[in-house]
Amino acid sequence: MPLIVRPEDLDKKQIFLILATPSNIRQRNIELIKELAALEYHTIIVTLNFPYNILSKLYAENGIDVKNVSFVDAVTRNSIGNAENIPGVVRFINNPANLTDLGIAVTEVLKENSGKKVCVLYDSVSTMLIYLSSQNISKFIHFVTNKLRLMDLSGVFLAVEKGLDPMLISQLTTFVDTVIDTG
Amino acid sequence: MEKNMGERNPKNIGCIEAGILENALVIIAVLDPKGKILAWNRAAETITGYSKQEVIGTATIWRHLYPDKAYRDTVNARLAEILAAKDYFENFETTIHTRSGVTHVILWNTKEIEHEGVRRVIAVGQDITPLRELDSFRESIIENANVLITVLDRHGRVVMWNTAAEEITGYLRTEAIGRDEIWKQLYPDKDYRNTVTRQIKEVISTRQQFVNFETHVTTNTGEKKIISWNTRQIAFGGGMNVISIGIDITDQRNAEETLLAYMTEMAMRIKQPVEIIRDNLIDVAGLIRKNQITPDETAMLLDGQVRNATQVAANVLEFQKAILERNRSIPEAYRKFLEGA
Repeated sequence: MPLIVRPEDLDKKQIFLILATPSNIRQRNIELIKELAALEYHTIIVTLNFPYNILSKLYAENGIDVKNVSFVDAVTRNSIGNAENIPGVVRFINNPANLTDLGIAVTEVLKENSGKKVCVLYDSVSTMLIYLSSQNISKFIHFVTNKLRLMDLSGVFLAVEKGLDPMLISQLTTFVDTVIDTG
Repeated sequence: MEKNMGERNPKNIGCIEAGILENALVIIAVLDPKGKILAWNRAAETITGYSKQEVIGTATIWRHLYPDKAYRDTVNARLAEILAAKDYFENFETTIHTRSGVTHVILWNTKEIEHEGVRRVIAVGQDITPLRELDSFRESIIENANVLITVLDRHGRVVMWNTAAEEITGYLRTEAIGRDEIWKQLYPDKDYRNTVTRQIKEVISTRQQFVNFETHVTTNTGEKKIISWNTRQIAFGGGMNVISIGIDITDQRNAEETLLAYMTEMAMRIKQPVEIIRDNLIDVAGLIRKNQITPDETAMLLDGQVRNATQVAANVLEFQKAILERNRSIPEAYRKFLEGA
């Protein structure tokens, strides 16, 4: 099976926008983490859709060593109200709409993993639309991509194909290096 | 037969001429070199309200017709200026006051004649009040129109620039009239100006006019405005001028773009999230069927989707309120519905 992202592009610290159909997007998440792990990348997954405990279970069932993954979880506290951070494993934020907290949490997890080959995976831009306007999403992704470039890190933004308006897609396209439509 | 026609009888000719002059529809006055009235026809009586008996043999009529001394002095000064260069004047326009106090605009032409060694001046005055009123009415319409109206001569020079044109573009008529530079100011970007010029030429060459042709102009303050132009060619002075009417549709376009942006954003932030919730629930059902998640985890996942759905409903309400704020004319019943009341 062909790789979703080319290793040489990852080595160049490129930033990707990966599009998938709604029915495939969860599978793309798992495939990407497998690919990244095979290339000895530590993946920091920012999840706005499924909580950390379910995702880590799904990853384990799909043969992914969860030691290669850290989580920034914007779902659990929003659902059950309380969850304690586990250093090196997961950081929770209260509200997916709070971009400041999200930014701080990502920065903290990056610090915890400094010195490693790291890739940050945002799952997903589409879910962000539930909590944020496209204008705020665009600003946030601009901020994140700038930060990734300053820190010389790779990043992946997952989104449902055909779900974003042309203006948002064109803005995101200018922020990332490569857009890959995986179908 | 010739005798019966009477044309060759000088007496008859004099009678005919006198009859024509008397019954002409224009003021005809014969003056001596000092301005004394020697003849005053019926139209002069009708238009001015002053009878032959009152005016013939005197020069006082001019004081009655021009009661305002300052205006009278201006008229006299202008007449003196003209008569210093030639012994007649043409199309000299004055405003007279009639006996009843009404003002009339008279277009004067004179001719100096010499009769039996005596110099006389024949003054012919055409009452152009209705024409001037019509001009004034047209001017009033043009000046009070809330659309940009400009007329261009065959060389593209502006010959008319109304008040709305001044207000919309910020350029005064003194800056626009008599020049074609105004277009460089309105379209400062050379490439865009060339594009607009090319499009105009293409349209004009096929249809002689254009309808709802939109351009982006830059005002005197640097503001960008969208103008929808309509033109017609009008005959003028043996040639063709172009009258252009420009409607400022900037606000309308902005409103349309805003509405489109709102609708797109709303479609994106409802359709996509609902699909995400649906797919998440499909995933949850799959995980339950495979016994991959505990009841607590199931509840947490379902709680998450409830929160997502709640947020989508809140987003919809937010959009409804935004629509209400932008459309004040929405009927009350719909307004209450959209307010979520």
